[in-house]
Amino acid sequence: MDFLGNLAMGFSVALTPFNLLMATVGVIVGILIGALPGIGPPSGVALLLPLTFGMEPTSGIIMLAALYAGTMYGGTITSVLINTPGESASVVTCLDGHQMALQGRAGPALGIAAIGSFIAGTIGVVLLMLVSPALARWSLAFGPPETFALMLLGLTTVTLLTGDDALKGYISMVLGLMLAMVGFDIISGDARYAFGIPEMMDGMDFLPVAIGLFGLGEVLAGAEMAKGNTILQGRYGLRDVMPSATDWMRSRWAIVRGTVLGFAVGLLPGAGPTVASFLSYTVEKKASRHPEEFGKGAIEGVAGPESANNAAATGAMVPMLTLGIPGSATTAIMLGGLMMWGLRPGPMLFEKNPEFIWGLIASQYIANVMLLILSTAFIPLFVRALRVPYTILMPLIIVFCITGAYSLKNNVWDVGQMLVFGVLGYAMKKLGYSPAALVLALVLGPMAERALRQSLIISDAGLGIFFLRPIAAVLTVAALVAVAVPVVRAIVAASRRHRAAA
Amino acid sequence: MRRADRIAGAVLLVSGVAFSGGALKYYTYSGPGGPGSAFLPFWLGVIMAALAGWLLVGALRSPDPGIEWLPRGEGLRRLALVLGVTAAFVALLKVIGMILGTALFLIVLMRVLDRNPWPLTLSVAALTAGLIYLVFTYWLRVPFPVSVFGI
Repeated sequence: MDFLGNLAMGFSVALTPFNLLMATVGVIVGILIGALPGIGPPSGVALLLPLTFGMEPTSGIIMLAALYAGTMYGGTITSVLINTPGESASVVTCLDGHQMALQGRAGPALGIAAIGSFIAGTIGVVLLMLVSPALARWSLAFGPPETFALMLLGLTTVTLLTGDDALKGYISMVLGLMLAMVGFDIISGDARYAFGIPEMMDGMDFLPVAIGLFGLGEVLAGAEMAKGNTILQGRYGLRDVMPSATDWMRSRWAIVRGTVLGFAVGLLPGAGPTVASFLSYTVEKKASRHPEEFGKGAIEGVAGPESANNAAATGAMVPMLTLGIPGSATTAIMLGGLMMWGLRPGPMLFEKNPEFIWGLIASQYIANVMLLILSTAFIPLFVRALRVPYTILMPLIIVFCITGAYSLKNNVWDVGQMLVFGVLGYAMKKLGYSPAALVLALVLGPMAERALRQSLIISDAGLGIFFLRPIAAVLTVAALVAVAVPVVRAIVAASRRHRAAA
Repeated sequence: MRRADRIAGAVLLVSGVAFSGGALKYYTYSGPGGPGSAFLPFWLGVIMAALAGWLLVGALRSPDPGIEWLPRGEGLRRLALVLGVTAAFVALLKVIGMILGTALFLIVLMRVLDRNPWPLTLSVAALTAGLIYLVFTYWLRVPFPVSVFGI
């Protein structure tokens, strides 16, 4: 069979000593980044991206993908032990995970999360392997109108789903698109909004922006507080984290449901691991025979969402690799990395760089095994890392933000840009704007503009082209619905207030 | 928050208008080959102005004063300190160099912010500077700025 041959080739790439080392480093750093509050998956990927510039792209993506999987589990440790989620996909785990810990069952909570993550991650890769080539073949038929409509859908759904305030989400997205306009226009050669500054003529690099918004921005938000965490003491040896037979019986279907739901949600543009984990929790509560136990330490409330977020992290790779449309801030940064390595994400990646794609797929199987081993056998080590005070951690993260931004093009301009966006990221976080929507728009902006202009050239400036071709029409209408939802919601709320006042 | 929304709304409204105006003034909206380099920037500016106007009107009409978003007292002091020391490091990067600068930055922040003990501060600073030298300078061959002392 064709893909068995491809998979064998993938394993031959992934099993080289250097790539194995990169997967291990990725998983370990990922667990740490996920576990440490105040630094999440997008900052982790942005900070480690500069390290990959000296490597083969395959080794680079192997490390970043392993890191992404690691962060999903790392967040669980803090949710369970400190009741502070390390990253947003583990917020829901606090509800039952921490309750289990208070009842002295932190071990099984962490154990079932690790096992669920392993099962979900592995099934996720199988699905990724089956779905991606078919989707890539289908998307070969996409012309500029379909591409633009798809990007529009990605941008609007991310905006809709990442923040509480849709208006501020859309402002963040448009700001990102405006920043994407800076620099040389590929068609006319105009140096737009560069103000004669040579560094700005090449456009805004997404990496200093991403490092600033996520890395420095998050650190500044945490800098206000002199933090001291209370970590629940306990035994986290291999035997202590193994779930009992009852735990296992209660969790098995939650893991299966979480996996399927998570992967499906991950495939959608905009809906990543966080949405998947919340949905899974709701489903488990509905499906359970003991819904009253949820929020009081029900193990299904940990198993389902933790499986769902890992499956979604894998699912989110599908649109990024096959269509070139990232669904989240983390995959947007990975996509930026792909372009920096000189690869063109999208359907042709499968044709032109099979060793890259299949190496990545094979390495995901390996990363999941490593994640299982590390997250069951080495929990005490990660718990110890949590004891590193924030006052030491914070300056260290800033140092990595600075060195990362500098090493992109070896200039101080990028470091200054990172600093400016760090302050902006802090303000955005505090005021309820969406840094994720800004970064996604910045990455997709140039591609979206090209597709839009090409479409309008084909149609002789008529917007009808986005509604007359079937695939483009479905995607455009879906994007418009995503824009309309918050508007309709705001109007309904306003009229209700009006009626209540009358 | 309401005050912050008013300021943000006004700034974004002006930026949107300036962005659109700049696009029309300096670049081409449409040419014989289709939409020009001003096309999308013009419409983005218009959309931004509309969204910012919406934000501004909402903030002006809202009776809810909202939450304080900037910290006060000790929180503000810590934030200003971290930001100030980081900005100074970036500004002096070409003079103090990356490796020496990293060590100095860590020493200043760890001592001033939380009075971490000297032995801990010095070992974290030395280890981090060493690690950065090893990974970036030695392995990745990143030409970091060097100080007058040659490191």
